[in-house]
Amino acid sequence: MTAPGGLPTEYGPLVGELGRRAIERRQPVNGTFELTERCNLNCTMCYVRQPAGHAALRAGELSPRAWLELTLQAMENGMVFLLLTGGEVFLRPDFFEIYTPLTRLGLLLTLFTNGTLITDAIARRLAEAPPSRTEITLYGATAATYEAVTGVPGSFGRCLAGIEALRKYRVPLGLKSTLTTRNVGELEAMRKMAAAWDLPFSAAWLLTKRRDQAPCGVAGCRMSAAQCVELEATDRASASEWRERALRGAPSENEKNFYCAAGKAAFVVNSRGEMSPCLDLIQPAARPLESGFREAWQEVQAFVDSAPPLAPLCRACEVRDYCPRCPAFSVLETGSLSEPVPYLCEIAHARKERYGPHSE
Amino acid sequence: MKHKTDCMMQNIAGENLLVPLGARVLDLNGLMTLNETAAFIWALLDQERTLDELIAAVAERFEVPSAVARADIQTFLAEITRLGLLEE
Ligand code: SF4
Repeated sequence: MTAPGGLPTEYGPLVGELGRRAIERRQPVNGTFELTERCNLNCTMCYVRQPAGHAALRAGELSPRAWLELTLQAMENGMVFLLLTGGEVFLRPDFFEIYTPLTRLGLLLTLFTNGTLITDAIARRLAEAPPSRTEITLYGATAATYEAVTGVPGSFGRCLAGIEALRKYRVPLGLKSTLTTRNVGELEAMRKMAAAWDLPFSAAWLLTKRRDQAPCGVAGCRMSAAQCVELEATDRASASEWRERALRGAPSENEKNFYCAAGKAAFVVNSRGEMSPCLDLIQPAARPLESGFREAWQEVQAFVDSAPPLAPLCRACEVRDYCPRCPAFSVLETGSLSEPVPYLCEIAHARKERYGPHSE
Repeated sequence: MKHKTDCMMQNIAGENLLVPLGARVLDLNGLMTLNETAAFIWALLDQERTLDELIAAVAERFEVPSAVARADIQTFLAEITRLGLLEE
C-alpha cells in the first residue's frame, strides 16, 4: 500500500525524491478520493466499515460529475497521483462513469479494492485504460479464515475470481493483507499464494479504531506488541530498515507532530466531498466543491501547520525513533492530535529491545 | 513528426515527467523524466514538426550551435522512438 499520506513507492527513489520536493513546495501532488464508505464485506477491524445498503450514506455520495470537477481543480493545483479507494469502490454502479474520464487526464491512478465484485466484464473494461496499480486486500489463505474475518460467506471464492480476472487482462496488480489475531497464522500461506501468481505482496498489522468513533472490535483483532515486532522481523525489508536505523543512531524524523506528506503534499476527499490531510482524519472537513480547491487545500495545510507539538511524554521519550505514532493514530485512540498511544508505546519498546544498541 | 497522444507531460516540484494514458499504462514501466531540453522538444512535438524546425527552435532557445542542438534532438528522438511514443 502507499505510505499513509505519502506518494506511491512503486516508482522508486525518483518519486521519493520528488515527493520530498513537493512537500517543500506544498504541491498537492498526491490525492486520495474515497468514493464510498460503504462495503460489501464486514470486517471487524475495519476503520470505516459501513454497510453496503446504507441509504443515507449512498445518497450523500458525490456524483461522477462532481469527482471530475474536483479532479480538474486538483490538477490545476498540481495533483499527479490519484488513489481511488473505499469502502468498496465497485459497489458504485457508476464506477466507470467516475473512472473513465480520469484515465484521459494524465494522472497516475491507483485503485484499492477487495476484489470480490470484479467480474470478467469489469476486468476487461479496466484493462482498456488500466490504473498504474490495483491493490487487492487478502483476508486469509483459506475460505474458513477469510470469511471469518470478512463475515461474508462465499467472499473468498469471489475474491480469487476477481484476482484471476485482473490477471487474465493483465491489469497491474498487487496483493496485501491486513493481519489480525484471526488470520495471522495464514501469513505464510498468503505470501505463497502471491508468489505463485507472481504478484507483489505486503502485509500491515497496525490496526486503528473506527474513524467515526463507533464501538468496534479492533482490540480483539490486534496482536500483542511482541507479536507485531516478531512478525515485522519476518519481513526482510522492514527488519533491515530497523537494524540500519539503530546502527545509524539517526535522530528521529518525527520531531514534528505531522511528519509525513499529509496536508503538505497529500490530501484526501471523502465520499461527501470533505477534504482532510489523510484517510484516518476527518478534520478539518474543508469543502473544495464549495470554496474551490485552492482554498480548501489552504485550510487543510493550516490545520496541519497549527497542530499541537508532540506531547511532553513523547518529546522526552527514549524510544521515539522506533515509534509508529502519528497525529491520526493519536486522534483515533485518544481524541487528541498529540497524546501518546499506549499500544504503540509497547511496540516501540519491543522494537528497541530487538534492534536497539543493547540487543546484541 | 509529432509525439503520440497517449502520453502526457506532468510537473512535480519543477521536474517534468511523462505519464502514460489509457492502455499505454501496460507497456510503459515506470516514469520517464525529461530534462529541460527534452521537455522543450516534447512540447514542440505537440504539433507536426520537421527536424530542421526542431533544430532551429532548440538552437535559439538554449543559445547553442545547430550541431549541438541536432545531437540532443536525435538522442531524444531515438529514446521516444524506442518507447513507441513518436507518430510515424
Ligand atoms: S513510544 Fe509512546 S511516549 Fe514514546 S513517542 Fe511513541 S507514543 Fe510517544
